[in-house]
Amino acid sequence: MKSLAREKLVPLLAEWATEYDVIAPLKSEQGDIVVGAFDEGAFTLDYGKPALSAKSACLPQSEITFTVREGNYRGVIPETKTLLFGIRPCDMMGMLQTTSFMTRDQEDFYYRTRRDGTLIAVMACPGPQNETCFCTTVSSGPWAERGYDLQFYDLGDSFLVEAGSEAGERLLGVTAFTGVDETEARRRIASFREAAEERIAEVPDVTRAMETMGEGMVDSEIWDYFGDKCLACGGCAFVCPTCTCFNVYDQVTEPGGGLRLRAWDACLYGGLTREASGHNPRPTQASRIRRRYEHKFLWFNKADTQGGLSGCVGCGRCSDYCPVHIGALEVTRAIAAGSWPGRTEATVRR
Amino acid sequence: MTNSIGEFDEADLFFVTGTNTTAQHPLIGSRIINAKERGATLILVDPREIQLARFADIHLRHNIGTDVAVLNGIMHIIIAEGLYDREYVETRTEGFDALKQSVSRYTPRVVEQLSGIPAADLERAARVYAGTEKAMLLYAMGITQHATGTDNVKSCANLAMLTGHVGRESTGVNPLRGQNNVQGACDMGALPNVYSGYQPVGDAAVREKFEAAWRVEGLDDTVVLTIPGMMDAARSGDLKALYVMGENPMMSDPDRSHIELALRNLDFLVVQDIFLSETAALADVVLPAASFAERAGTYTNSERRVQLSFKAVDPPGEARADWDIISEVATRAGYPMHYGSSGDILREINALTPSYGGITPERLAGGYGLQWPCPDVEHPGTVYLHKDRFAKGLGTFLPCEFRPLAEVPDEEYDFLLTTGRISHHFHTGTMTRRTSVLEREAPRPCFEIHPADAARLSIGNGEMAELSTRRGSIRLRAEVTERVPRKVVFSTFHYREAPVNVLTNPAYDPVAKIPEFKGCAVKIRRCS
Repeated sequence: MKSLAREKLVPLLAEWATEYDVIAPLKSEQGDIVVGAFDEGAFTLDYGKPALSAKSACLPQSEITFTVREGNYRGVIPETKTLLFGIRPCDMMGMLQTTSFMTRDQEDFYYRTRRDGTLIAVMACPGPQNETCFCTTVSSGPWAERGYDLQFYDLGDSFLVEAGSEAGERLLGVTAFTGVDETEARRRIASFREAAEERIAEVPDVTRAMETMGEGMVDSEIWDYFGDKCLACGGCAFVCPTCTCFNVYDQVTEPGGGLRLRAWDACLYGGLTREASGHNPRPTQASRIRRRYEHKFLWFNKADTQGGLSGCVGCGRCSDYCPVHIGALEVTRAIAAGSWPGRTEATVRR
Repeated sequence: MTNSIGEFDEADLFFVTGTNTTAQHPLIGSRIINAKERGATLILVDPREIQLARFADIHLRHNIGTDVAVLNGIMHIIIAEGLYDREYVETRTEGFDALKQSVSRYTPRVVEQLSGIPAADLERAARVYAGTEKAMLLYAMGITQHATGTDNVKSCANLAMLTGHVGRESTGVNPLRGQNNVQGACDMGALPNVYSGYQPVGDAAVREKFEAAWRVEGLDDTVVLTIPGMMDAARSGDLKALYVMGENPMMSDPDRSHIELALRNLDFLVVQDIFLSETAALADVVLPAASFAERAGTYTNSERRVQLSFKAVDPPGEARADWDIISEVATRAGYPMHYGSSGDILREINALTPSYGGITPERLAGGYGLQWPCPDVEHPGTVYLHKDRFAKGLGTFLPCEFRPLAEVPDEEYDFLLTTGRISHHFHTGTMTRRTSVLEREAPRPCFEIHPADAARLSIGNGEMAELSTRRGSIRLRAEVTERVPRKVVFSTFHYREAPVNVLTNPAYDPVAKIPEFKGCAVKIRRCS
């Protein structure tokens, strides 16, 4: 355990940036929060919950897996030496779950290589970042239990920083960090955690909905209701820390040459499950939404949950960003209550 | 749009016609869906059972091409039942008596016969629209892409004025633009009759202003050709050279064989685009342009909002920003044109275009854009148009009579073909068909046909059929669905392997010169 004076953070990140690709929260000129290459002028600690989770560090939106030139194949090995600074505990849990899924039985080489080359500094949450946070319900926050190299606790004038790995211990070795009384630091962290946990209300609808789904008692009209509204943009999957579907495709760049790539995909798209015959086992938008939420709350693999309650880590981003309000919170609320808003004549008639 | 997109969240009623909003303007569509959940009313006028139909309180599935009759019929009911806004009509408009006279012939019974809409439904729609305070009318290409497109638009405006539904917050007439910058292109005078900001080429004072700014003399004051006129002139040999930028008429203009003959008959064709489109493949010179992510500039969206766009990556190869290419072409042609950046061009726009006077690069950098009219740097921009008075003073009612489609089905060509777009592809597919997931979602050209018609023609779901009009034939896969009414088929113009513009009718609106993509007569047979 070490302490870092607040004013020493930016110089420290700048120093790390000479050795690592430091990915950190930034504030654009117009006030938008983005996560990107550390920049002293744009760096911010006032970033709440960034729109995108940390998953792109290991599973980029698109990546080249091999190239073909004059008939010769050449694998592309991702070279990564990244330090992710400031990710939230829910995103840490998302990365633990994703790493398990991507490496447990069949190792995804590209994911593994990037993950091995990535150091993670978590910023523990002092409370909810906005009204959709529900980490305390799914056991993914407000602090990270493991997976991180460093975990920061913001105490105002300074940060308490704990190491979660040998690499983290090494990072703590620089002079910017000062020693602390371990007992006193533990006490302060405990009270930080207690206060944070108290501030983030549990959402009983989530656990109730999981029970209802487990009992097979979900009114199928709920899926029709959400399916009718869904615009099939796939945004929920892109912002989700645990969505890992990707599409594999080729790009011809020259005669006899080209690229094999993969890019994020979404189960909200009909083509993801459409078979070569044209038959689609998930033929409607309602069935696709049902599949997505059952995957998060019912059919997730327990081996991948890594101490979390479900395949959803409670970051609330799907509820934040869905333009027609189909998010984990809305779906579980509808299931738990057995009713949903705007149940119009038209919906009933159908 | 007379309103802004944010105003959807406060409106109490939406009158939606000729727009498949959730597919083509999904974020606007999402606001309508959300509004429904807070209790707003949705009146939908559309022959197809689009996604919004699931949310409609009243869905009027009219016969294609009968928009004027439907709108006149609604106005007739509103006037006959005394539901119109008398004060608004008296103080803000002119020409009411002529309108009243004209629409009096469109009784619910007459309109039912023309449009197929039950009289009772029409009456319900009229009463609800007239009786709601904050009502937004929305339309898109379903209204405009007709030989009567101008009449359709005028009728929408008549209806809104009659009920006092223009010029207030969350209350107005809202054509939804089909591309991110089609509003900007029009604003910048990419039209034959105006300079930027709709300043007429025939106005001597305007001409002198531009002559002084550009240090030239004798700018042309004649209104020249629109696209269909250019194609006709190219085919007849009167037009010798054509410079096409970011447009793919081989796929997007009606009667493809006519377009191809016209383009091949040119002495010189230049195409400037980001990919080698079907049109570029015919060109003598192709100028590679930078894509949106490879250049900086501004776009003006549907709600008149001018927004900055930043360069993210360098353009590939020899590609350059459009303004840079145009500047060099002009310079080499003998008129030195030198701008340092797109910001320099915006400063010229500020100086010459009154409605853009205050939309400076500096102000745009500090926020999320500005909505015109914005005449000076102190002006906050305009959220909605026509507050208290119309731009021209009084709003003039322009009554229109119903005219049928230019080509109606007959014994031989017994179906009606209507065309549009789907969510996954954009226009002629030059970009989206090169995008893996989008292409996977919608890889094949299809046409929608009603199950009863498909059964009669022995066409199964997913089977190939041949669609023929007087202009040509294409083969497509059938999607058997009740989304379309009987005797109507729907297809899209996204697919080069089955270009639907082989079929569409080059009948044009006499004023706007927009083609009638929304309806022509077609015959269908199963491919064995």
